[in-house]
Amino acid sequence: MVAVVRRMRKLRALLAIRLGPGAAILPPEVTRIHMDFAVDIHDGHHGPRKFWRNCLPRLKYHNPAVPMTVNRTINQTGPALMTVDFTSPKAAATIKPEISSTTDKQTSTGPVPESKAGPPTERTEVINMKHRHDSEILEQLLRLTKAKVVRPTAEEQREIQEMEEQNAKSERDANMMAKVNAKRKREEEILEQARGEVEAIQE
Amino acid sequence: MATSRQCLAQLSRLCLSSPPPGTRFGPARLLSTTAACASRGSFVPKILSKKEKAGTVSKSQNPQKNKKKDAPQKKRKARTAYKTYDLKDAEMFSLCDAMRYIRAFEVGRSPTSVKYEMAIKLRSQKNGPVVRNRLRLPHPVRTDIRICVICPPDSKYAEQARAAGASLVGEEDIFEAVKDGRIEFDRCICQTDSLDKMNKAGLGRILGPRGLMPSTKLGTVVKDPAAVLKDMVGGAEYRERLGVVRMAIGQLGFTPEEMQRNVRAFIEAVKKDMAHLSDRINKELSEVVLSSTNAPGFPLNGEFISADSKITTRELSTS
Repeated sequence: MVAVVRRMRKLRALLAIRLGPGAAILPPEVTRIHMDFAVDIHDGHHGPRKFWRNCLPRLKYHNPAVPMTVNRTINQTGPALMTVDFTSPKAAATIKPEISSTTDKQTSTGPVPESKAGPPTERTEVINMKHRHDSEILEQLLRLTKAKVVRPTAEEQREIQEMEEQNAKSERDANMMAKVNAKRKREEEILEQARGEVEAIQE
Repeated sequence: MATSRQCLAQLSRLCLSSPPPGTRFGPARLLSTTAACASRGSFVPKILSKKEKAGTVSKSQNPQKNKKKDAPQKKRKARTAYKTYDLKDAEMFSLCDAMRYIRAFEVGRSPTSVKYEMAIKLRSQKNGPVVRNRLRLPHPVRTDIRICVICPPDSKYAEQARAAGASLVGEEDIFEAVKDGRIEFDRCICQTDSLDKMNKAGLGRILGPRGLMPSTKLGTVVKDPAAVLKDMVGGAEYRERLGVVRMAIGQLGFTPEEMQRNVRAFIEAVKKDMAHLSDRINKELSEVVLSSTNAPGFPLNGEFISADSKITTRELSTS
């Protein structure tokens, strides 16, 4: 990427992935989350899309072992469903998460791990996402899985406050500079006009 | 000019008003157009400026030239090396941390089509030689490259090439297809025997801008295409542009160990290339940044996994 200061500002956006709606730790019984919805937002697929773009990254960051997949279809009138797979607490404690790698074994020169299945699915819950707001969908998911929401630590709180102060200061500076620039532009325009008139007279 | 107008106005006023006694037919100086002289009326010595007293006044009318110049005007020096930044305050990540964030940014996307990308920033001169080479990664990112081999269709080279996995082999039919616009391959190599025919066919116009034209400089005109073919199928090419070497280094679905092997191979290859350049040129590694199709860039600090990490590599190996 680019210059360090600009990049550091962007990386403070990592805070936004660690905290916010959807930042929750799922219990070990949850083994998979799968979403099916349409490509466009019409006919009730706006909520699922927002959930995928905003909440799902936070869930994925805090639960990297849970495979989370999304399948989007062109059929707008079709359903929008979220499928959550559960396993028994015993299996979750004993069996490790799955391994799946997309490396091609034939062309690799290094060792490729064998694909291993994770804990077996015992029950599956389905959430209907169509025509629902993404916060509603999140709420239902958290209730269903009994997930623990992640709260910001003291240091993160400080960083958030710093960012907010910086944003407020930037806004004030931007407004002030806008006025200064507008004034300068007006003066330049007047000068240009005056010069144009003098040239016209001299001709 | 405005001043001359004013002068004339003042002059006319002086002439029209009653002149003081004794100056009715005053000296011709009254008729001069210099405002200072006219306003003063009677003779006074001209006030000399400091420069005139010193004797260094220049005769030219151009105000720019009259500006005091002690030295010739300096032009701003252009930078000769690419800009680098101090990384002391930069936040750096271990490979597993970066992968954890990147996988979160890329959640829900296809694990084969989303690629990790690595940018190696170098501290280097702007107009020197560039690092440019081909590398075969331990875990290749793209395994379905279509290669076209231009060689006499009946020779043994053609059979070997087909056996090695070329998608298109031949001469005239390939020329025709390219001229038609049907370019169904990603790379092209040429056999030395067919070089003249290919140059005559004039494919440079079409393949040149795409970087597909075989040339001796790139090593795509060879005697034995089958060997180069094998190299190419797994090989990824990298090249330094504006002080940065960038290359696709993995798919989203790779495990951390596989990524580690690929990253190591890439960095070592670039370091070796830099060492092979002449001794006068000193290129150095400045920073290594891991990114992906939809994620921001994460500078790496060289560790595989951070000491206080709460997750294992197994957890990052799922889809």
